[in-house]
Amino acid sequence: MLDTPVTGKRQVARGMFVIGMHAPEIASAVRAGQFVNLGWSGGPLLRRPFSVYRAEGEHIEVVLKAVGSGTGQMLAMEVGDRLSCLGPLGRGFEFGAGAREAVLVSGGLGVAPMLLAARDARAAGMKVTWVHGARTAAELCSEMDGDTVIWATDDGSQGIAGTAVGAAPAADVVIACGPNRMLAAAAERWPEAQVAVETYMGCGTGVCLGCAVPLKRGGYDRACKEGPVYRAADIDWDALPSHLPYAVVA
Amino acid sequence: MSTDMSVAVGGMKLRGPVLAASGTFGYGTEVPLLERRALGAMVSKGIFLRPREGTAPPRIAETPSGMLNAIGLQGPGADALVRDYAPQWAEWDFPVLVNINGESASEYAELTSRLDGVPGVAGFEINISCPNVEQGGMFFGNDPRAAATVTEAVRKRTKLPVWVKLTPMVSDIGVIARAVESAGADALCAINTFVGMSIDLNAYRPRLSFRTGGLSGPAIRPLAVHLAHQAARAVRIPVIGIGGIARAEDALEFLVAGCTAVQVGTATFVNPKAIAEVHDGIASFLEARAFRSLADLPRYLPRD
Repeated sequence: MLDTPVTGKRQVARGMFVIGMHAPEIASAVRAGQFVNLGWSGGPLLRRPFSVYRAEGEHIEVVLKAVGSGTGQMLAMEVGDRLSCLGPLGRGFEFGAGAREAVLVSGGLGVAPMLLAARDARAAGMKVTWVHGARTAAELCSEMDGDTVIWATDDGSQGIAGTAVGAAPAADVVIACGPNRMLAAAAERWPEAQVAVETYMGCGTGVCLGCAVPLKRGGYDRACKEGPVYRAADIDWDALPSHLPYAVVA
Repeated sequence: MSTDMSVAVGGMKLRGPVLAASGTFGYGTEVPLLERRALGAMVSKGIFLRPREGTAPPRIAETPSGMLNAIGLQGPGADALVRDYAPQWAEWDFPVLVNINGESASEYAELTSRLDGVPGVAGFEINISCPNVEQGGMFFGNDPRAAATVTEAVRKRTKLPVWVKLTPMVSDIGVIARAVESAGADALCAINTFVGMSIDLNAYRPRLSFRTGGLSGPAIRPLAVHLAHQAARAVRIPVIGIGGIARAEDALEFLVAGCTAVQVGTATFVNPKAIAEVHDGIASFLEARAFRSLADLPRYLPRD
């Protein structure tokens, strides 16, 4: 648990912002798909979970939209304001040796873990194709990093008209993050894909059992410990709530 | 710090008055970050005899200064607890009590027998106050005869300390407290969560899949201080105060109001060091006012 200063803020799409903080221990340890749980003085009772967006030197970044009063307060912060940062938490993406290409599929705020996923995939010797979708061109994240980048918008205002899942090429290694409904579609197309799900979260450390993820084999486990990354075919998508006001990837 | 923080509560001598509340500390093994040095005792996540899946998500919803939860006592069952966790507890330098649950008095009794004598299990906290199960739980805790029946059933199966965790969802907590005391409880834990509901205005339905949940956090603290005080006035056995404690001053309110010890719960979700900070803050408070021990703290406890 670190008491850390905000070191920067920038806009990367309409309504979407990146906030940086000084967190050396986390920056050096974090893997793609892991998250931090952030709290601040005068903030809501519970911390807010965010995938780590970027890690460089002694700094990490998270990406967010103002979806509620908590994220609204975060976006009102200025450089030097303090955050309490718990992490890195959860289990990230696995990039085993052997595969030659990884396809990253992100929808909206699902960009959150993808910069690190591109980094880790390259480190494992893979070429990276990144497919990013949003409702309109203005909502596409402006910071992309892939050997090939493919855009998709619901209204056709940029790139392919349609969803990121539909626009993605065939691949052996697929990494996906976005709204749960998008991930359910990804699971249909790629049962072996690694997906980072969104859930409500209480503690982020495995004790409250609030972030239950329903499994195909029955029962639940914890997005904060066993997840937030899952094999797509392992999740009971019909039982996983969609449409969350905030989520682990937000 | 030389202040004597030890307390005698419900058949146990504890090194400090700040305990980890059931359901907020897992089985004590989950978070390496946790500072365990200040723990007086830990109460494990509530367990049934057999494994339970728990409720469907969403299971939690944040509310002003609080949170609703409906976890539904997800757990691995008694055999897994004995195999995976108790051996670790046996090595620790603070006692672990198991929060026990059942759908009938005989199920509580059977679970007690299964755990009694297992190294690492130092005592029992009977949960007759969980609002998130279809049977048992709170339905025992708001009826004095049922509460006494469950307490007796457990009492007969063990010589270890037996604590009973009470629900606030009653018209007179003193009646339940006395019934449980007469049935052989060594201490009372007051209180479990309040039943609450919150509505999702986009979906036009409750935010929790279970419809209702247990409200915890600072939002309930004044209610909890009052109920713990009412319970303490009604009985001679110690009362452990629970409800929205996040800082030392919160814990001290319960202690002055007649509690012997306290449990910290939801605050641990937010701050994994909360228990250690509350413990140290109480010690500083006592030291600053030249009390040599926690026992010297003045109490406000007129008896009924």
